[in-house]
Amino acid sequence: MTDKTLTQLCARALEETRKRGADEVEAYGESVRTITVAIEKNDLQISRSHKETMIGVRAFVGKRVGFASTNDPGAIDAACADAVVLAKASPADDRNLLPEAEEIQSVDGIYDPGAETFSTQQATQRAVKMIDLARSMDDRLILGEGEFSVNLATRALATSKGISRSEKESLFAYFALATARDGERVSNMDFQFGAARSAEAIEVDPVVRRACENALGSLGAEAGESFHGPILLSPNAALEILAGLVLFQTNAKNVLRGMSRWKDAVGTAVASPLVTVVDDGRAAKGVATASFDREGVGHERLELVKGGQLMSLMHNTYTAAAMKTKNTGHAAGSARSLPGIGPTNFEILAGKTSKDELVSEMKKGVLVTRFSGRADPISGDFSGVAKGAYLIENGRISRPITGTLVAGNAFEALKGISGVSSERERVFSFTMPYLRLEGISVTAG
Amino acid sequence: MRQLLQTIAQRSEAWVELRYHARRTKRIAVSSGRLEESSSVRLAGVGVRALVDGVFGFASTTDLSEAGIAHAVHEATAAARASAAGKRERIDALARVTPTTGEFSVTTDDPLDAHSLEEKLALAMRLDERIRGASKRIVSSTISYSELQDEKVIVTSDGAAVRLVDAKPEFRAVAVAQKDGDQAMGLDSAGVSGGFSDLFAKRSAEEMADKAVALAVAQLGAEYPRGERATVVLDPGLVGVLSHEAIGHTVEADIVLSGAITLGKIGQQVASERVTMCDSGPSTHLPHAAGEVLVDDEGVRTGNTVIIDHGVLRSYLHNRESAAHFGVEPTGNARAFEYSDVPIIRMRNTYIEPGASSKEEMIADIKHGYLLEGLGGGGQADSNAEFMFGVREAHRIENGKVGELVRGVTISGNAFEVMKSVDAVGSDFQWDLGAGHCGKTQLAKVDAGGPHLRCVVTIGGRQG
Repeated sequence: MTDKTLTQLCARALEETRKRGADEVEAYGESVRTITVAIEKNDLQISRSHKETMIGVRAFVGKRVGFASTNDPGAIDAACADAVVLAKASPADDRNLLPEAEEIQSVDGIYDPGAETFSTQQATQRAVKMIDLARSMDDRLILGEGEFSVNLATRALATSKGISRSEKESLFAYFALATARDGERVSNMDFQFGAARSAEAIEVDPVVRRACENALGSLGAEAGESFHGPILLSPNAALEILAGLVLFQTNAKNVLRGMSRWKDAVGTAVASPLVTVVDDGRAAKGVATASFDREGVGHERLELVKGGQLMSLMHNTYTAAAMKTKNTGHAAGSARSLPGIGPTNFEILAGKTSKDELVSEMKKGVLVTRFSGRADPISGDFSGVAKGAYLIENGRISRPITGTLVAGNAFEALKGISGVSSERERVFSFTMPYLRLEGISVTAG
Repeated sequence: MRQLLQTIAQRSEAWVELRYHARRTKRIAVSSGRLEESSSVRLAGVGVRALVDGVFGFASTTDLSEAGIAHAVHEATAAARASAAGKRERIDALARVTPTTGEFSVTTDDPLDAHSLEEKLALAMRLDERIRGASKRIVSSTISYSELQDEKVIVTSDGAAVRLVDAKPEFRAVAVAQKDGDQAMGLDSAGVSGGFSDLFAKRSAEEMADKAVALAVAQLGAEYPRGERATVVLDPGLVGVLSHEAIGHTVEADIVLSGAITLGKIGQQVASERVTMCDSGPSTHLPHAAGEVLVDDEGVRTGNTVIIDHGVLRSYLHNRESAAHFGVEPTGNARAFEYSDVPIIRMRNTYIEPGASSKEEMIADIKHGYLLEGLGGGGQADSNAEFMFGVREAHRIENGKVGELVRGVTISGNAFEVMKSVDAVGSDFQWDLGAGHCGKTQLAKVDAGGPHLRCVVTIGGRQG
């Protein structure tokens, strides 16, 4: 669907909802076209194509709000009516507002017209290339799962406040999940992800290679040791253990719910001085880059944590009104749901020390490449199995270990970060360095 | 719709499966006194799977006209052809089945639509207030209610032609308590296949709200356990989690073929002879299990599949492709969450059969151990059956008596080792995993449960 057609569809839904009795309206549309080629056990599994246009309508009757959405072109009027009915039945809330129309700057580099003609055959060739690479690297490798997909999306938004915007984007996304098997010995599974905004920038090889190398490296792992001390988290593990906590705590919705401990923490230290966290909806070619958020507000680069100090929370129009502060443009979600709050391109800035130097400073520790377990964003407690883990002894990675449990508290761990690597990796829309945590419980399985 | 799909299927040269799926979702969420969401989603579309020269292709459409669906058939066929060149292993055949025809509907005396939006909103607002008023320690409350209402028509080239009507509501209460900068969360939830009163048949909404408060408050200031291997009594919720998450996924035939630990173990003793584990399409023992599936998305009538029979591994969970591969009958486990999802092998209602012991007897025999109840804050399991789960509520057992609560407890181990350690199985039964979804590249509503049982697990704790 062209952006013009989608914009017209949104404008029509806006008018229809008004006619049904809404005072203010937001109509948000998403039209997607996807080709996906799935890999299973070193073979192609299935190719599939998907096309859908979804319209979501937020109706305001006074300060009452209702939301309805549909993918059925014949049911858009019904959805408009649903939204008004839901609004009328709801209690009023003064914070229910739409953002005012403001000029925004559009971003470049998120749409490649070449993606429109990228065929199922071409996608299949890329997937076959991923399988062939894994097979050529080592007989013991199994690409258990993988995927290559081509995603085209158009987003459009029309509001009764006069916002009317649309944007097209393309994304080629691919992942590999590798395991190595040597007789009875089975490695840990390793997962790697890659994405590109243009056909030219697709690079499947490094993704497959990294997953395969990590799987091979963890073959022959044996029990580790129990101690209380430092662990070095890979970008993947750092994402699982720490990023969730930061996202939960800086989500202004959780502050309003009374669930965030960082309610009054802006301006205070929440992490080690080595840590700076940025969320940038305009990052060049980022997976989550877009000109505007789910409410049509322009994206900006936002420092969440700077040198360990909490600088800002993430807001949408509702939470900004409730807390009488600036909307940061973090309204998130699809046309299927009400605008929530969520990150865009989330990153922890690189440090000055290389990963190898961080290892060389550790007398005894564990390198964790993946974390499988529980990380509670409220209490901060985390506890789980270190997957693809290696014992570090006297400044060197000595051997792969298995069944090792790591446990600690993420609030304390953030403050105790003693090293941030200069290397970073991108996992979905997250760009993370290696992080060294201190004082973690490590228990041999 | 059934006739239209049959006409289109008959015209196709390739084997096709056409699935019309209309879904109505409603959701209400209230948090700390404010309505966060009152929403409705209407989805409709047709998913088409085609088998050409032993290769599957899939396409979906929201254009429900004859031309629109026929175009999706063309796209699915083209997708299959595009894969053919690079595909190593072809599908020889799908397992033959007796074609299912007719109408199937979830049973309830109290349909969801018999209850007004206003009633559901008022319930959510009232219970949110109840949580906040229950203790001065409570700093946050959330109530959410949601319902899925489905209509499906499934037609295959080889004769399946069914219409299905389903309804799956769920309810969730969350409380967060705080004391001296320490915060803890308590949660209780329910999910069923059926109507409004079925959702609250086991515990009322008030009981769930009160339980969330009690759990949140009790954890404040509670001790963390010491890491150790210990004898524990698991409640039906955790028995369900272990059955579904740690064992169930390792017997899904697609995971088996990817090299799961269960490969080649049919007929072998994999658990204590006290353990019989099943995955059932219909609800067994108690009605309204949330994973109820009467006919799967390949048009296969479901039954009760015995996975482990008195400790012996008897069956994997199959779709028509894997059943043909293993030379067995399909078990009706092919499921797709939405019209645009490809049917894949999923569990339905996974449980352990009740035994003869009482919970009290099992506890009385334990010198030092734990009583563990409910899944708390996620967890994970691998295809080698290694698992790690958070526990919602844990009490120490000392000299046969249930003692104080400990917090932050996780359990881990190898699920089959744990199942071998089972030395007593309770005579009770509950479904307890009906809220939320299982995720395996796409969502699915499932349920799981069983009786209380006694076994040995590793308790996760903190090192010095």
